[in-house]
Amino acid sequence: MTPLIRNENAATNPLARAIWMSWLAAFALAGLLLPRTPGIALAIVAGQSLMAINFFFLDKLVKLFTHAMLPGTGHRQMPGRFFAYASLKVVLVYGGAFTLIRTHAVPFLPLVGGLSLPLLVLFLQSLMRAAGYAASPLARRAPQTAATSGNAAKLAASFFILALLAIPALGHASDHEAEPVVLAQHDPAQPTTPANPEAAQSEAAATAHGEAAVGEHAGAEHAEFEGGEAHLPNWVVILNDYFPDNPVVHWMHENEYLVFAWLAGLVFLVVVWIAMRNPTLVPGQLQNGIEWIVESMEDVCGGMLGKHLPKYFPFIMAIFFYILTMNLIGIIPGFKSSTSTLDVTLALALITFLYVQINGIINLGPLGYLDHLAGSPRDIVGFAMLPVMIPVHILGELVKPVSLSCRLFGNIFGEDTLIVVFVGVAALALKASLTALAVPPMAGITALFMLLQTLTAIVQALIFSLLTTVYLYMMLPHEEHAHGEAGHEHA
Amino acid sequence: MNFAATLGLALPIGIGLAAIGSGVGLGFMGRGAMEAMGRQPEVLPKIQVAMIIGFGFIEALTIYAFVTMFFLQGKIQ
Repeated sequence: MTPLIRNENAATNPLARAIWMSWLAAFALAGLLLPRTPGIALAIVAGQSLMAINFFFLDKLVKLFTHAMLPGTGHRQMPGRFFAYASLKVVLVYGGAFTLIRTHAVPFLPLVGGLSLPLLVLFLQSLMRAAGYAASPLARRAPQTAATSGNAAKLAASFFILALLAIPALGHASDHEAEPVVLAQHDPAQPTTPANPEAAQSEAAATAHGEAAVGEHAGAEHAEFEGGEAHLPNWVVILNDYFPDNPVVHWMHENEYLVFAWLAGLVFLVVVWIAMRNPTLVPGQLQNGIEWIVESMEDVCGGMLGKHLPKYFPFIMAIFFYILTMNLIGIIPGFKSSTSTLDVTLALALITFLYVQINGIINLGPLGYLDHLAGSPRDIVGFAMLPVMIPVHILGELVKPVSLSCRLFGNIFGEDTLIVVFVGVAALALKASLTALAVPPMAGITALFMLLQTLTAIVQALIFSLLTTVYLYMMLPHEEHAHGEAGHEHA
Repeated sequence: MNFAATLGLALPIGIGLAAIGSGVGLGFMGRGAMEAMGRQPEVLPKIQVAMIIGFGFIEALTIYAFVTMFFLQGKIQ
């Protein structure tokens, strides 16, 4: 191969990067849709694979074509491989799509959705580039660090994908609410459309725990949450009080986690845009702050991932900033942390899980991955322990998303509940006209806990992204970490 | 003593026990990290990162108890 073609690797090629992200999106979508509608999930994956194959051949064809047409390379005619690739592409992609549609093997619309997934990612990517994120100020300022070059573009693009990926989980959440059958069976008084905000609130709260309880004790849960777990009202709830009949407001109220997740994404994008609009050599306050965060994270993650850092850093930072913004936005009165529901954190953890596992398969190869799952047996004892080690390791991998999501959810939700309790005490005092006595200390305590909440928000975002880094590090080729500890890391 | 009463007694005690365990663990971890930092201030960032990750793991145990409490809370009647 000539240098022209060899230089294009996955880290620098935007097309490869887009395909890679759309695979991620397709698998996340399919994984979330699989329990309910396996047909749609299958169609999305089928469409995505068809389009990926299509792009693979297109990439090869264009490279061969431009290479043959390049002046000075000597040969002016198409190599035979060009026609081989072209015919293979026609047969595989168009034949595959035609067969799938004609035989009605998969539903049509999701197939089209899957087909357009890479295009959507490409579109978003080029949008980010057009918005000026490609010309990274970090790269211009510090060209010697390879990790920062062009990171802003990838960061923003990955961020967008993440925001998109949180949607199916939330759709899942509203599915529970849209199922009055299950709820109404146990509790006839359950309103099918949330008429009063309190019931709707506790219903939303019950939804967060719906995974475990929706089957048998939904009614009981509902009754419990009425007293046990109130949320502070946010502006969506207030809006719903004033416009109870507006369908848009109603939708927002049903999916308030989604609304606030979008808001968090928007806030983050706007802040970064303002900070990085006119990057200067001597950074202003905001630019300095953001660069400080990125550079310290780069130091920390670089200590673990080493030369692999540029490949994984955008994903890690996207996760970090997204969670951080979602956590911090809940501190503002009238807003709500999207991470205080298990649906959002589970979606984030599942994305991380898939990303880590797929990267493990890519880094170690399929055989190396199996070897990793088996605990890398090298002697007779190791092979004798295989039936025990394989389930243990698989369980260890599966526990990771559960622990990630529960940790984030528990921390943020716990802090929220704490503040609600103290505000509730102050409100009770208001009712009992003990205002002068009780409100000032309560307000003080609440303010103190809000400081604590800020700390929790930052630390939890940090822990989530650092654990992602650790999991990625474990999936690197084994000879690259110290040999002595390779066996004990999964304990 | 019926199921609900057992649960009502056990859940808070369980969270308390989990918190005690986590507290002891955090104490050991923090002590070790502080001693290491005092002994070798030059590797402070590395120790801090390891400490925070360890804190996350330990703290998660209490959070599991907390989440379990919320899942089972509905069954107390």
